[in-house]
Amino acid sequence: MAVAPAAIFLLLLVYLGVTAPNLLELSTLSLILQQSIPTAIVCMGLASVVMAGGDDVVSGGIDLSIPATAVLAAAIIADQLVNHGSGLAVALMLGMGAALLMGVLNAVLVVTIGMTPLLATLASSVAAVGITKVVTSSRRINVDHPLIVFLRDAQFHGISVAVLLTAMLALIFYVALHRTRWGMHLQAVGGSRDAAEVSGISPKRLMAHSFLIAAVAGALASVFLLARGSGSTPGSEENLLLEMVLATFLGAAFSPRRVVTLWGAVLGAVLVSLLSVGFKSIGVDVFWTGCIKGALILLVVASAAYSNKQRR
Amino acid sequence: MSDSESVKARMIGPHGLLVRYGFVILIAAFFVFFSLYTSSFLNSENLMNIVEGSAILLILALAMTLIVTMGGIDLSVGIALDFGAAFAIVAMKDYGVAWYFAVLIALVGGSLIGLLNAFLVVKLSVSPFMATLGTFFIGSSVQRIFTNGGGPISFRRVDQSYRDLAVGDVYGIPSEVIIAAVVLLLYFIVLERSIIGKRMHAIGLQQSAAAIAGIKVKHYLFFGFIVASATCAIGGVIGSANLRMFTPLAGYSYLLDAIAAVFIGAAIHPLGRPNVPGTLIGVLFLGMVANGLNLMGLDFNTKDALSGIILVLTLALAVMQKRLR
Repeated sequence: MAVAPAAIFLLLLVYLGVTAPNLLELSTLSLILQQSIPTAIVCMGLASVVMAGGDDVVSGGIDLSIPATAVLAAAIIADQLVNHGSGLAVALMLGMGAALLMGVLNAVLVVTIGMTPLLATLASSVAAVGITKVVTSSRRINVDHPLIVFLRDAQFHGISVAVLLTAMLALIFYVALHRTRWGMHLQAVGGSRDAAEVSGISPKRLMAHSFLIAAVAGALASVFLLARGSGSTPGSEENLLLEMVLATFLGAAFSPRRVVTLWGAVLGAVLVSLLSVGFKSIGVDVFWTGCIKGALILLVVASAAYSNKQRR
Repeated sequence: MSDSESVKARMIGPHGLLVRYGFVILIAAFFVFFSLYTSSFLNSENLMNIVEGSAILLILALAMTLIVTMGGIDLSVGIALDFGAAFAIVAMKDYGVAWYFAVLIALVGGSLIGLLNAFLVVKLSVSPFMATLGTFFIGSSVQRIFTNGGGPISFRRVDQSYRDLAVGDVYGIPSEVIIAAVVLLLYFIVLERSIIGKRMHAIGLQQSAAAIAGIKVKHYLFFGFIVASATCAIGGVIGSANLRMFTPLAGYSYLLDAIAAVFIGAAIHPLGRPNVPGTLIGVLFLGMVANGLNLMGLDFNTKDALSGIILVLTLALAVMQKRLR
């Protein structure tokens, strides 16, 4: 039963591969990878938070504000570059600074004040969406800055530079979370807060770290969002949120212990993007895609809950 | 441990006072600010506007109170509202159903959302958060599919009796206020004054202990989700009666306010529990802030940003207060 979501996913992929033959061509696969970049990066952030907070969605760690943070940072960068004539350095500093402030806000709300992460990050994401509206007046901003175009189009030996950069980022996250003492402490806190505290680890500090890391992920995702959309599009956080939650928890279904891991989250992001592109190429209405993704989320969490029940 | 003493020490002194009564002070501060800053805030007509404008939010927040009391959360309240509105409008427009049957059909439409939640939470043991998030995504998508991308379905020639559910009045009291008050009273009786409510609180405090004590936890959760969603559909009836149309995804804007109202209410409760009177205060507070920001004549986007920031600060303050108890 625990393998059900993975199995259904594979079946879907096989179906898409058969009905849309050009889906598995190299050029399409490269497009899929490029499309998945913003989702993959916000997933890395969410994976860190879930690892530090435990995977209970209500009382454990979750950060629903990463997509809104990324969209806010993208809006500020686009607004600075296009409407204020700022240099790239200033624009990036302002955008990413705002993203980091969101991380600090989340850390303070959860760690210092003691709000549940779910409520805190839901509220802060509403604030971020509101500020995004003020920055952009709810309008789209086209960006043709060389850096954004470079991230969109540049290739290195036939592979997109953006994909390579994301792979490097994933490697850095992997080493930090799974191969360092700090990463082990972070996971220990997520496993059992009390046990971690008794063994001399400060759960509060590590949880605060995880929210800051999530904000960094949001900040980095913003430039790739700009590259993917050739500009900032208000309202794009909703789909990013859906894909982030789906990919991260789907990734857990692929891990041997059914826990959220970094590679699982990244793999989940790629698979979700593969599905989106696949559905589009066989002519499925974009509104149905949302419905199918929602059903997949439920399938994944239901089978996880079911296998949990079996184990007890 | 001297934990309780240190808490007591913190409660005394100006800092403690601020934290303990912080929320009351906050309400008063906003009230005074709006009264002074805008000339039209403090008069009986506008205060009635606030009450009237809060009716739908109150209905959704009460549904949320029911679920949070049992230790869950319902992210699909807005979807249940939308379904209620859609079912009623479509029933009257395309099938010529009488208005009172349309109201019943709206309740059924909302209950479908609750049924899906209940099935996922009770039968499949999915956590309420993930279950209702999934329902939210599917429900949003279904509305987009049904309306070809989110265009409203309007029905201008709607029965006047249906319309009066929102815009009518009884002895000068707007009918949406009366409907909300009736729902409020029913929720108050069930949640705060009946054995059903006691059991629901027990489930929320410790589900396993409640089960050992002989409470049919699954039973309560199952029907709780359905009742909550049906309640939200009443909000959808009022909304669609007011505009004479079904606006897809309109319910989403109430979601966070409903959650916020419940948590504000819990924060001002002596034991920090979600409760019906507290939810009412939370709703009226949010309604007052929305109304005041409107009267200040801010541009739409600025208003959105400000209310988001006020929401974060209010929730932070509410939780800080709750922790000191």
